[in-house]
Amino acid sequence: MADTINLFVNGVEVEVEAGKNLIDAIGAVGIEIPHLCYHPALGADGNCRMCLVGIEDGRPPLVPACKTPAQAGMKVLLDAAHIKKIQRDVMELELINHPTDCPICDQAGECKLQDYYMTYGRPESRMTVPQVQKSKKLDFGCGVVHDQERCVTCGRCVRFCREITKTGELGIINRTDAARVNIFPGRPLNNRYALNVVDLCPVGAMTSRDFRFKQRVWFLKKAPGICHGCAKGCNITIEHNREKYQDDLIYRFRPRLNLQVNGYFMCDAGRLSYRQENEGRLLEARLNSQIRPLEDVLAAYNQEIERAEKIAILLSPNCSLEQMVAVKALATKLQASLSGFSAGYIQQGDGDGFLIEDDKSANRAGLTLLGIDCTQEHFEKAVQETQLLINFNNDLSRSYAEHELKKLLKDTKVIFATSHDDSLATMADIAIPVAASSEYAGSLINCNNILQTFTGAVSKNHKPADIGELAAKLGSPLQNRAEQFAELRIYLSVLKDFEADTVPAEGLNLNDSEAANVTA
Amino acid sequence: MEVKILSAKFDIKDANKIAVAKPLGAYATLDKLFAMKPEEVIEEVKKSGLRGRGGAGFPAGVKWGFLPKNTGKPIYLTVNSDESEPATFKDRYILVRDPHMLIEGIIICSYAIGCHDTYIYIRGEYTTQVKVLQAAIDEAYAEGYLGDSVAGHDFKLDVTVHRGAGAYICGEETALLESIEGKKGQPRSKPPFPAVAGLYGCPTIINNVQSIASLPFIIEKGADAYKVYGTQKSPGTHLFGISGHVEKPGMYELPLGLPILEVIDKVAGGVWKGRKLKGIIPGGSSTPVLLPDEAKDVTLDYESMAAHKTMFGSGGIVVLDETVDIVQLVKNLIDFYHHESCGQCTPCREGLGWMLKIIKKILRREGSMDDVNLLRELCDNIEMKTVCVLSAACTMPVRSYLDKFRHEFEAYVQNASSVQAKQE
Repeated sequence: MADTINLFVNGVEVEVEAGKNLIDAIGAVGIEIPHLCYHPALGADGNCRMCLVGIEDGRPPLVPACKTPAQAGMKVLLDAAHIKKIQRDVMELELINHPTDCPICDQAGECKLQDYYMTYGRPESRMTVPQVQKSKKLDFGCGVVHDQERCVTCGRCVRFCREITKTGELGIINRTDAARVNIFPGRPLNNRYALNVVDLCPVGAMTSRDFRFKQRVWFLKKAPGICHGCAKGCNITIEHNREKYQDDLIYRFRPRLNLQVNGYFMCDAGRLSYRQENEGRLLEARLNSQIRPLEDVLAAYNQEIERAEKIAILLSPNCSLEQMVAVKALATKLQASLSGFSAGYIQQGDGDGFLIEDDKSANRAGLTLLGIDCTQEHFEKAVQETQLLINFNNDLSRSYAEHELKKLLKDTKVIFATSHDDSLATMADIAIPVAASSEYAGSLINCNNILQTFTGAVSKNHKPADIGELAAKLGSPLQNRAEQFAELRIYLSVLKDFEADTVPAEGLNLNDSEAANVTA
Repeated sequence: MEVKILSAKFDIKDANKIAVAKPLGAYATLDKLFAMKPEEVIEEVKKSGLRGRGGAGFPAGVKWGFLPKNTGKPIYLTVNSDESEPATFKDRYILVRDPHMLIEGIIICSYAIGCHDTYIYIRGEYTTQVKVLQAAIDEAYAEGYLGDSVAGHDFKLDVTVHRGAGAYICGEETALLESIEGKKGQPRSKPPFPAVAGLYGCPTIINNVQSIASLPFIIEKGADAYKVYGTQKSPGTHLFGISGHVEKPGMYELPLGLPILEVIDKVAGGVWKGRKLKGIIPGGSSTPVLLPDEAKDVTLDYESMAAHKTMFGSGGIVVLDETVDIVQLVKNLIDFYHHESCGQCTPCREGLGWMLKIIKKILRREGSMDDVNLLRELCDNIEMKTVCVLSAACTMPVRSYLDKFRHEFEAYVQNASSVQAKQE
């Protein structure tokens, strides 16, 4: 626990964390100080003036809370009449030139200006002169669309590009009420995190071309998730909605704060990876390219199991730990050789040391932890020795060209449990639809040996089975997630005090010996 | 009434050239200076009571005392020569007519505070002034008064002239520092103050041209000689720029503490064309206006101005005769400050533009009493809610005009309602 100090807010003594500014210190105990320009990841700028608070007996008596460290004994005034008046006045000035775009603005419903107007604003407009007009829908590149009229020039986006990505594409040009955020002519946003400026923007000035006009945010259901785009395991919020008569679709991923994994941000590729959850899905089971009921397909599977002398099973490095132990137990029962070969998921040199990793899979550490052989020799030898390959959602097209794959599998029957209807599903003798990562609950170990859990967010109309459930149906002795999680404790003593649903939100750091198992 | 301390060489031809200035005493104080300890120099300046001539009037020696000791960082002196306040035209005289007095002052200040790199931030529009100043600096280098060994003493000092790009706000000391650092000229939040973390994060003293130029006299003649002029709390002399509706507008050096009306009458020749006095802007456009009645007891010093709810400011006195349309004047005033707002803080960025549109509406005779009241209220809502005082520099005078000449604003809106009634 960090050091704490006591100070007074509106005359009431509160205990807050030391070493923070007033917004964060007092905010942590549930007292809001309104602010637009301050963001904990970007530091204090002090330009919006919404966070001005009174300090009783202070010199000066009026300070920006974002720039003022919390000090013991400080007497902070928030509900004094003169402070409420300042908040109302600053809100009025923020709004005089702000267009009433709310009915067509994507930010409506999650807009700081709207929220603050309701809490701190003046009910009636006194603006009787023409507003300042600026440019709308400017293409800033990287899928970011900017509306200068909605902008409150808080400069968060500018500071993000300067301080976080260090690319500096954005700046505020001009002075006075002609000040506006812009790019340099012909030099649009060009970094792999650009869409974070959309989240950072407290108002609707920065919008995502991908999300614009797709959904009103109050229709979106939000569930915590983990991005499966790479080994970093950025924490995300999965925002999805089932429109009437439609399927449950994801509309966006947004980063979710986890200071020990991704902080406040995520990369654009991960953010847009939600599309894969929606698109190109395998909806029905297939037997020899014919759509068949799942029961028939499972019967065919059992025949194949009976017939095959030797079986090879392939796991995806994106599978959850629970799925992996379930499939591993199945492999043991079937005396099948188990592989996690997935070299194609690794894009050497693509990582940037920030949030993007070379390894584009979410749980390779899990394969290593369970001692599953991931070498190409082992996998190819297993395939050659057998007549039946059961592939659990491993996208082999990442590791092999199509002709190589056809050659490798020409004498092998393939049962493909897949979330997506891709070329591999077409080639497979049996294709069984399974859930994508947003549809089941599970655990992952990221590249920094942090174990994180996530819950299922989306429920699709075709109700695909999670690989863990499917493995149970196919004969794995581990029948449900609780059994799978119990099995995990054999490998991870760190889990001994936890159930699947009690793992802390920020994740569990593996201890050194377990981490050594993972990285071995 | 006029005195010749700072302006001693102003009327001498080519006094900007070292060959002329040196026989007249330029750089004569340096031997005395280097015989003193730096602390003794600071003490002497403190004793002289010299107050910052940029407008705020903060005692110069006290400011120097704020420098932290032994930080391991270089100390910078920055001379604020961004003279942009409307009605202010004093520093330009020093820059053009006696630049060597400024350079000598820079040497004195730098020695006192332990600075070896001085920046002169000069207003971008001052093209002539830049040329003359740079030529003088070049001469000072050539004669050994600047460089590795100042006047043969073991003291290194470099002076760099940095030209602004035409922004009033860069006269605000921290915006000035940002501008020198190559950034957009926007004031910084304080604390930290520049004396602690200024230019490039190092301890920095920022003084106005006239403050620095006052130093050679103080060192040469001593603090007591300086205190002969002016009042107890506002000692010394000041360059006053008197403009507006007077018979003899111009720049006059006067001791502080003289009655303002007497100065206008006797020094500047009185209100022109035999007209009546309507008001006086005492120290640049951002100071609240004085009515003739109020001005009766006002003397030209910091205390008297403060007592009359205005400010001494930059010494730029503007005399308004009875023909002045105050509403038009206020429009010009807001127009200027709106144009010069850096756009950083919400109240100033949005508020000054709103005020400008309201005053224009009133001028178009489309305004109402609500607009006048709103304008007055906005002065309170905007003022002192921002990082710097630019917004206050606009709202303080505007409030004074609204309060003291309210009838003129009312006449515009009453006229408006009668015009509208006729149309109906």
